[in-house]
Amino acid sequence: MKLLALMVALPLLTAFLLSVINSISTFAARWAGPVVLLVTAAIGLSAWPHLGDTPQAVQWGGFQAPLGITLYADQLALLFALAITIGALLLWPGRGEDRTEEHPDDHSRNRLRRASLALLLAGTGSGLALSGDLFNIYVFYELLTVVSYGLIAGRGTSGSFAATLRYLVISGFGAALALAGIALVYQAAGTLNLAQLAQLAPERLNNSQGFAAFVLMLIGFGVKAELFPVNFWVPEVYATASSRVSALLAGVVSKLALLIIMRLLILVFHQPEALTVLLVLGVLGVASGELAAWRARDVNRLLAFSSIGQLGVMFIALSIPGNAGVLAALAVAVHHLFLKPSMFLLAERWGGSIKGLAGAAKTSPLGAALFVLLALSLIGVPPLPGFWAKLLVIMPLLALDQPLYYFAAFIVLAAAALEANYLFRVVLTLYDKAPAATPHKAHATVDLATAVFLGAGLVAAVFMLAPLAERFDFIAAQATDVSTYIQTVAPLSLESGSVQ
Amino acid sequence: MTVLDFLLLIAAITVGVALLVGNRAGGGWLVTILYALQGTVLLLMSGLGYSTLAVVHSSVTFDILNQTLVWRFDALSWFFALITIGAGLFSSWFASGEWGERYRDSGGSLALFHFALALNVFSMLVLLASGDLLTLFIGWELVSWASFLIMALAGGKAFGYAMRYISYAFAGAMALLGGLLLIYAQLGSFDYLAVKESVPQLQTSTLWLLVVLFTAGFGVKMAILPFHLWQAKAYAETPGPGAAFLGAISSRMGLFAFIVVLVQLIGISRLAGLEVPFTFLDARDLLAWIAVFTTIIPTYIALRQHDARRLLAWHGVGQTGYMLLGIVIANDLGSAGGLMHIFNYATYQAMLFMAVVAVMHRTGTSDLNKLGGLFTRMPLSYIAMLVGIIGLAGLPPMNGFVSKLLVYRSLIVDGSPLLFLGAVIGTFGTILSVYKLIHNIFLGQLRVEHAAVREAPLSMVLPMMILAAVVFVTGYFPGLVLDWTSAVQRAIGMPVLAHHLGGMMSDQGGLDMIWINSILLAGFGIGTLVFLLGGRSRRVHQLDNYAGGHFLTAETRYHYSDNFYPGLMHLVGGWYRSSFEWLERGFVSTVDTLSTAMQGLYRNAHPSYLLLAAVVFALSWVIV
Repeated sequence: MKLLALMVALPLLTAFLLSVINSISTFAARWAGPVVLLVTAAIGLSAWPHLGDTPQAVQWGGFQAPLGITLYADQLALLFALAITIGALLLWPGRGEDRTEEHPDDHSRNRLRRASLALLLAGTGSGLALSGDLFNIYVFYELLTVVSYGLIAGRGTSGSFAATLRYLVISGFGAALALAGIALVYQAAGTLNLAQLAQLAPERLNNSQGFAAFVLMLIGFGVKAELFPVNFWVPEVYATASSRVSALLAGVVSKLALLIIMRLLILVFHQPEALTVLLVLGVLGVASGELAAWRARDVNRLLAFSSIGQLGVMFIALSIPGNAGVLAALAVAVHHLFLKPSMFLLAERWGGSIKGLAGAAKTSPLGAALFVLLALSLIGVPPLPGFWAKLLVIMPLLALDQPLYYFAAFIVLAAAALEANYLFRVVLTLYDKAPAATPHKAHATVDLATAVFLGAGLVAAVFMLAPLAERFDFIAAQATDVSTYIQTVAPLSLESGSVQ
Repeated sequence: MTVLDFLLLIAAITVGVALLVGNRAGGGWLVTILYALQGTVLLLMSGLGYSTLAVVHSSVTFDILNQTLVWRFDALSWFFALITIGAGLFSSWFASGEWGERYRDSGGSLALFHFALALNVFSMLVLLASGDLLTLFIGWELVSWASFLIMALAGGKAFGYAMRYISYAFAGAMALLGGLLLIYAQLGSFDYLAVKESVPQLQTSTLWLLVVLFTAGFGVKMAILPFHLWQAKAYAETPGPGAAFLGAISSRMGLFAFIVVLVQLIGISRLAGLEVPFTFLDARDLLAWIAVFTTIIPTYIALRQHDARRLLAWHGVGQTGYMLLGIVIANDLGSAGGLMHIFNYATYQAMLFMAVVAVMHRTGTSDLNKLGGLFTRMPLSYIAMLVGIIGLAGLPPMNGFVSKLLVYRSLIVDGSPLLFLGAVIGTFGTILSVYKLIHNIFLGQLRVEHAAVREAPLSMVLPMMILAAVVFVTGYFPGLVLDWTSAVQRAIGMPVLAHHLGGMMSDQGGLDMIWINSILLAGFGIGTLVFLLGGRSRRVHQLDNYAGGHFLTAETRYHYSDNFYPGLMHLVGGWYRSSFEWLERGFVSTVDTLSTAMQGLYRNAHPSYLLLAAVVFALSWVIV
């Protein structure tokens, strides 16, 4: 299973070599990225069935657990590593854009830069998903952030620079907070390896210091996961960045940050207060995001706000204690993983005011029909997958039988009603019989094909609900099995009983 | 493969066929034949309607979340399915001839229309077949979105009304989802039987929450107060036969679900034990009063309409009140009356909409101030409307009389004179407004531009005539329908009404419509005899008339249509300050304000400031 490390190493290596390759052959440089991502995706997929029986740990450099760089792969981690790899491949930046204004020289340079960034994104994203200690997580997270800056600013418009700056400021603060949290953890436990932390947590981190560390890390890593008080970059960035970048950030990268918080909750932080904080911030995210989306006047902002709302639902799901919470968050996250990129791709040619979309269904009937399907799934109309995901969130919320959780369930349901309203206002505008003044642009074939592919995935899921539910159940059970995690990563320290 | 599988399969095939051939010549007829086939298959299950068969299962099941989802038909489903397929059949028939050609030629997609109609029928059958709470919700959502589709077909204004509908409907669906997941959380099952058995364990507060959630969820579809605003406009703007279909059965699905959950699972007796705090009412009284006000207020709103379709659609809202009232009263008379009213109302409401659409087809308008005197030009449509309004007003010899009488009787037997008074006030408004309807369209003087109008084509007249015959025959022999309602009463655990072909039997005086109608007809017969034997009569031209002491010639036409019942409207006008519209606008602007605030938050809030706050918060936690 050492091969899994290639999922991280190969894209990173190719990214750095890309300009060298380019000077030798532009053709090779053009295809190196996609080919490498295909190969890494194949590696990941081939490892998938093995991880069903036993999760794997890889020690980079051959050092044992506390010293070496630990990669830990169970099906949950691999799922998200695959998501970012395949996501970067499907949403290869720069495709499907209008390049009429671009200078040809700029064009080839831009393509090279975008390809490197996409590869870096895939590599660091996989690394983030597979990392087994906090230090690596922090490093990969920072790398990922830097890559995102590059991608967001890639359009080169003043709006995108302003948005990047805003994102930069918030991310910087977030990184500082996360680092402070990590320092607190290290101070208390003396290690950053998650397996060791999992052993030590009940003893050393189950106190107010541990809680403070959790809150700091939650807010720090929450920046990318669009957590409520640190998500003010979201609308601006998604409105100005290219749709493919927005799709990657909203669809995939946000889930990686979520994955980290999920891991921390499972392995390290077991305070009930931690769950309450998640619940409250999640509820605030849902309420603020969906309400703001209700008045959004252009499609990208609308999708951005609705994505904040969806991430809020995931945080609410995470706040459910035990297996059910992980399962619910996983279901909502995977649903969103398919849905949001597809919507952003459709929005590529539907930018500008929503009113201007009147009659756009005539120019792109397939796109409009797909948008209806996605909207229906997003608000949770049975039998589409969104409904079952919503069910998995609300059922345990109500089963907990506590006022705050009841309130969260109410908020999730009310948000869906609001969502139905604003999404179907867009749908009816698309099908309006009186066309808008400006002619509509048809979707680029590659955008539409990708969006349809993702949408088809949602429809296929309807027919495989039972096996999917079983698989998710298994992944959640595997992820919440702390003792397996400890034994897989650090069998030695367990036997000897000493930790440092 | 069971009969139910077969029924659902044919309904699904109808949907596909409608989409494929709906635009072709004769496509509509093919679809209509498929509805007839659905009806035939339904009749194979007619044992359900006569209590000789308890339940028909579907062999399709589905395992998810440790639950086995099942679909099945019982007497209640069968009764509703009969009305659904009937309404689909007649609406499709009506749309298949000239109406469809005109619709297609004016730019509408006839295939989409037939598809939407077939999808409505199919989704309703799926809902009616639901065997547990989860399948109930799935069917419920399918029905909601299918209705949305057919309402939005017309485009333009209809989009706005359809949007309003789906906003209400989806919010209601979320209330419903919350309710049934709460049941699952508390009782651990979606299965009807299991839930029914463990409902007594529920605490009063939980039960109250459930009653509120379910009443809101189902009430939106039924358009009971205060959720009634969406319905009339949305139905009125639906393309002609679609409006007839929706008017006949669509919002009845809310009543079906209400019966399944609140009557069958929770039970009316349990509702009667739920005290409303600080009042002398209980939950059942509350529902009964909501029903009565749903009868009164929309009926008087109907009275003020100038558009024939809106007038009818508002009556649709009002009549729901009678059905709900009868079912909430829950004695043998009331539930029989409420259930029977569903069937009766569907027959004449579909027919009335068809008559109005036929008039629109010929004259191009449904504006009550631009019509008049069409009796001489469209006599068959006139007869259809006459039969229909007699039914709607609840007068003998039509079927509406029987069901309304049963509901009234149930209120008196139940000892609720105030509810009875409310119901009668509603009927009073109905009689006034249906008179306005027929007078403004068919009576009085013909307008110049309508001099050349002909009767509607046979494809439109024939469904109306058949429905008129149904209204008359089931008015003459109400026992035909009471057989089915008795089977339903038995299935949902209500006391069963003792009945015979002509009506019902009771210690306090029975009802025999065969006698009543025969005497009525005999009276008419005698009148006719007198007329025929009474010697010469002079035929007067339609325009040979006078008003206010002036003779009116053909040049100065006089048709009193505007500002009907000014005295009454002056009297009740003060009560209509559109308070519900105000409520809705208030809600929307609250959301709007909150939304603006949130956008402001995301646009302006200084990120570093917030982060600082977060840091201080986190650190203070450490220190304190």
